Amino acid sequence: MKDATAGFLMFGGVLVWGLFSSCTTLPDKPQGLTTKVYIANESSSSVSVVDGTTFKVLGEIDTLNHATHDLSLARNGKHLWATNLASGRISVIDTDAMETIASIYTGKRAHVVTLTNNNKHAWVANIGDGTISIIDTSIYRILGTIPIQGGPMGIAFSRDGKFAYVSSKDKFVNVVDTMSHRVIKRIPVGPNPHFLVLGPDGRIWGTNTGSNDVYMIDPRRNEVVSTIEVGPAPQQIAFAFKGTSGPNAYITVAGINKVVMVSGNSPTPAVLGQIDVGEGPNGIWANSVGTRLYVGHTKSNDLKVIDTGTNQTLATVPVGRKPIRVVASQ
Amino acid sequence: MTVKEPTEVAHHTWTQQTFMFLCLLGLFWLPLNSVDRAFAAGEAVGTATNAIGGFMVVRSDGIEEQLEGKGALPLFEGDVLRTEGSSQAMIEFNNGIKVALNENTMFTILSRWEKGKGFTRVLRLKHGEVWVDTQGGPKPLEIETPVATAAVKGTEFDLLVSPDGQSTLTVISGVVEFGTAFGTCPIKTSKISYGNRGKKCTKPTY
Repeated sequence: MKDATAGFLMFGGVLVWGLFSSCTTLPDKPQGLTTKVYIANESSSSVSVVDGTTFKVLGEIDTLNHATHDLSLARNGKHLWATNLASGRISVIDTDAMETIASIYTGKRAHVVTLTNNNKHAWVANIGDGTISIIDTSIYRILGTIPIQGGPMGIAFSRDGKFAYVSSKDKFVNVVDTMSHRVIKRIPVGPNPHFLVLGPDGRIWGTNTGSNDVYMIDPRRNEVVSTIEVGPAPQQIAFAFKGTSGPNAYITVAGINKVVMVSGNSPTPAVLGQIDVGEGPNGIWANSVGTRLYVGHTKSNDLKVIDTGTNQTLATVPVGRKPIRVVASQ
Repeated sequence: MTVKEPTEVAHHTWTQQTFMFLCLLGLFWLPLNSVDRAFAAGEAVGTATNAIGGFMVVRSDGIEEQLEGKGALPLFEGDVLRTEGSSQAMIEFNNGIKVALNENTMFTILSRWEKGKGFTRVLRLKHGEVWVDTQGGPKPLEIETPVATAAVKGTEFDLLVSPDGQSTLTVISGVVEFGTAFGTCPIKTSKISYGNRGKKCTKPTY
């Protein structure tokens, strides 16, 4: 009995100590956003790092490869994955150290990288090889490839992770069953379908960069359920709020040097407004609370920070040459 | 998709006598070089030492070179190596790893770099069959197939890739970490495992 009491007291002590020690690690007041913005500079073969709050440049990371194009950030923000078109390689960047820690050959014209929902695998679209490479993100080893007809361009996963959507240059989106790694359906879309992203309503949003519209795919039916014209050469999409309105889709439209705002949750989307930006808007990302947009401009080589409440530009930050993709930490 | 039985593997087209001849030839033809070297661009990473029948090396700029019989054809990062029907070839990398190609085999010489670990030699096997001997102790080598990857841990093994990507690993000695996107299987001496699209590699069998 004595032993039981002593054990119980010891257990209680450990519990109290644990609670106390965990409490001491909590901040004494809510912390502000500490967003870091990463910009892929294709012609500099580098990644610029910008503080998302002060808009100051924190550094420029050499990717140790050529023509850095797309970025995907791990959910914990520790590792940034970058494609390099000319090298056919992925650069893995340690975001704390701000240095490249691995270089993995995937295939010719490595274009887009997307992490699976659990972040265990990185899927890379190799346009030149017509394949998706699947990389184990813990050991950087390629575990397999999936042939994709027509030159794979963009990749997005459904909310439940059952499907991967891969746009291809031959005007289709390929639906890949992630359990069998086989293409189960090809959905016709428009010319040069490029960027794909999972929307806040669970639909897959894509741009027909060779045309002037954006389409939405319903993963329950694997069909295009809606399209909307936004202007010539739509590029990338982010989701944010304008006051009480939202989430809205913000689309960079390179042909008119604007960001076009579209209702994001409606079955029948409508254009809600436009924001003037710089020359060649391409990459776009919203901060985690949807109040700021970070827009990269491939012609003026800078990043604009836009307040979604007023549509005003808060800062213009010079970055590397041809900034083409923007992502930000939570 | 049909998974091949182990007995079928034992009867594949590999000619054991030719294979042994190539292995012995490889042992004596080139001096062993166990010193790891950086796989810098423009620097040869290995040598093709012997070929029977049609053996071709396609450089990254599209130039094609052939080797017939004994020789010393330098190999570079990005090269695509290809044997035709009824052909075989032997190559050796600078760190001593020997690879024999059976007929109708094609792979690309690649690499992966990691800070603190350096370079890992990667062979992307599109189809055909290779035999690998890492020559005493672990060497950084991985072989990718369309559906699986074999990572070497000081060993000798054979890897056969069917046209549909099905990959059959036979470990002759040592341990190979064999994995698909759905799981990893350490395969030891005298064991066979199969990798198929959309499935975990099979449990080791005899």
